[in-house]
Amino acid sequence: MKIKKEAICGTLESNDLLVKVVPFGGLQVSIYSEVMRQFGARIREVVDETLKQMNVSQGKFVIEDKGALDCAIRARVQTAVLRGCDSEELDWKGL
Amino acid sequence: MDEELDIETLDPRKDVRGAAEVKELLRASGLDAEADIQVFVVARNRSRIVACAGLAEDVVKCVTIAAEYRGSSLALRLMNEIHHLAMKRGQSHLFLYTKPCNVTLFEGCGFHKLVEVLGHACLMENTPVGIKDYCDSLNAFRQPGQRIGCVVLNANPFTLGHLYLVRQALRQCDWLHVFVVSEDASAISYADRLELVRAGLAGMERLTVHGGSRYLISKATFPSYFIKDACVVEACGTAIDLLIFRRYIAPALGITHRFIGTEPFCRLTRKYNEDMFEWLENVSEEGQPVHVVEIPRLEVAGHPVSASEVRRLLAKGDFVTMASLVPPTTLACLRAKYAFRTQPQEDDYATEIIEVE
Amino acid sequence: MKKLRRSMLFIPGSNAAMLSTAFVYRPDSIMFDLEDAVALREKDSARLLVFHTLRLTAYHGIETVVRINPLDTPYGLMDLDAAVRGGAEIVRLPKTDCAEDIHRLEREVDRIERECGREHGSTRLMAAIESASGVVNAVAIATASPRMDSIALAGFDYVVDMQTQRGDGMELFYARCAILHAARAAKIDAFDVVFSDVNDDEGFLKEANFAKRLGFNGKSLINPRQIELLHQAYAPTEQEVLKAQRIVHAAEEAESQGLGVVSLNGKMVDAPVVLNAQRILALAKPAFVQA
Repeated sequence: MKIKKEAICGTLESNDLLVKVVPFGGLQVSIYSEVMRQFGARIREVVDETLKQMNVSQGKFVIEDKGALDCAIRARVQTAVLRGCDSEELDWKGL
Repeated sequence: MDEELDIETLDPRKDVRGAAEVKELLRASGLDAEADIQVFVVARNRSRIVACAGLAEDVVKCVTIAAEYRGSSLALRLMNEIHHLAMKRGQSHLFLYTKPCNVTLFEGCGFHKLVEVLGHACLMENTPVGIKDYCDSLNAFRQPGQRIGCVVLNANPFTLGHLYLVRQALRQCDWLHVFVVSEDASAISYADRLELVRAGLAGMERLTVHGGSRYLISKATFPSYFIKDACVVEACGTAIDLLIFRRYIAPALGITHRFIGTEPFCRLTRKYNEDMFEWLENVSEEGQPVHVVEIPRLEVAGHPVSASEVRRLLAKGDFVTMASLVPPTTLACLRAKYAFRTQPQEDDYATEIIEVE
Repeated sequence: MKKLRRSMLFIPGSNAAMLSTAFVYRPDSIMFDLEDAVALREKDSARLLVFHTLRLTAYHGIETVVRINPLDTPYGLMDLDAAVRGGAEIVRLPKTDCAEDIHRLEREVDRIERECGREHGSTRLMAAIESASGVVNAVAIATASPRMDSIALAGFDYVVDMQTQRGDGMELFYARCAILHAARAAKIDAFDVVFSDVNDDEGFLKEANFAKRLGFNGKSLINPRQIELLHQAYAPTEQEVLKAQRIVHAAEEAESQGLGVVSLNGKMVDAPVVLNAQRILALAKPAFVQA
């Protein structure tokens, strides 16, 4: 899946995260979190896993985390990808 | 308490009553409703406006929240709405001006500090990687040398005066970076201005021409520059732009010297040049100082060459006189694309303002 | 023994924070809302948030309901996918006007269960009645499918359809009764309306007690504060508990002696009475009992 346009998903409220994505030649993910030290690795793991499941090969992601649970991370990243690809087609098995 | 509030957009040009309400709310916080704001996001409690945030292209300003609602998550809701509105209008990279005391509040809303003019104002952007990515991209153009120079041109259009400035600057440094202001607010389009600079400097060595960015003389960093008839510059009008240059752009390219031409005409540009000495050279400011070198303007037939003069000649269709002031590439372009402008345009006269170096 | 379903807490599906923490309030059921609580531009995001939240182990001990958008909106079917595949126990269909609405929903649920390998029939349905038509068709709706789990009255839209306003409850009287009767005839549960003034505890309790008296199994809530209040309203009195204990004890005695008939104080006690006594004891289990 390729990101075709800029997209944004989520909020900066507590326990949530904001995902911004723009079209990009390769795949780049930047993560910012108040709890970077304790959870940075876990957040990256979940994001990478989610992007892999959706077959995302291109796009620049900037993620600002406010203490979101894995389920919120997955959901927001998936929605940002769908918005960025202008698609509503969900491959449920891929999730 | 938040739940009672309705968040909506307000077009100050169409909704006169709403605009007046917003103005009143801003006035109570010591702010002016700025004329270039295209749309406001407002929060209403029943029908009373209790908070507002203005958007002028990609700059968020005139943000205020009535005292009784501060401390709630209203700021976040407001900024969230601004983001969505801006996205719809094609702007995803936003800048925000605010007083230093509000920086923490806006950090909680997803804005990140760029620079602060101590005690006065702070410019923020809505991404943690904006300036960082920009500087990383500039880094690729770093050149070795002891004296690395920089010239910033609006080049509206590129004249022999600009060429002279660049040549003089080149004599004094090992490498020269030339930036072209990218804000498309001038008589000649940015695309053409950039092309004319490249054409005018073609074949010259030890030189890189860079397109401009939001971070260098743009409506985001230096709004007064683009306001017609702005005789008064706010206290930090030039500071923000110059501090960004000093703290981010100069280090990314290793710039040690900034070259400017003397400014006989425009008061605003003259002030900008004066301020450069203060903000770029001053040792007590954060960041490595950048030396400022002023080069006397090129004169032709006893008059300093200026782009505004060229535009006046363009309006009159006088390409003959113009030929003595611009290189052939500029002349050809103006003839081909801008000759239809035989009526003087408003900005030809006001604009001593839109002329830098 | 039937599950307790006194409190059904509404959680907006677009609010990540609430979705992450709602289970701590321990309502009897949680309803993740994809419909009215979610702005149009967040429908896609909320759907996925709810899908993933459903799979959190924290929610496996609580009954989960998902309110989807009506099937004739661009969102309804995708919401249904999220709900069924996510593992929600119940799907709540808003604006249910007639049995055909349920039939249509059922066809889609059948299909999705098949596609994702979920046990056929495991997804149950809740019909929300929000109009005069719905009230009038309540019996047909309640019996429209073996998947029918419960029927709920949604007060706000209903009174608009009836061309009146929310007031002291008289405006809902017929609708409440009709829905209750339909539910009881179909042997499914019935839920009462949301009480929207979160600061008016007295008003809430009054309405909750009234609903309880009429026979509603529970009530929809929009604020966690209302959970404890509601559970207290539904708690039996000490007298009721004592009486129920005696009845249940008598029933157990009769069974252990192999007697076909239960008797207490020389009088025969019917099966429904025993069931009711058991229900009262179940309500009494959570600690609070009214004096």
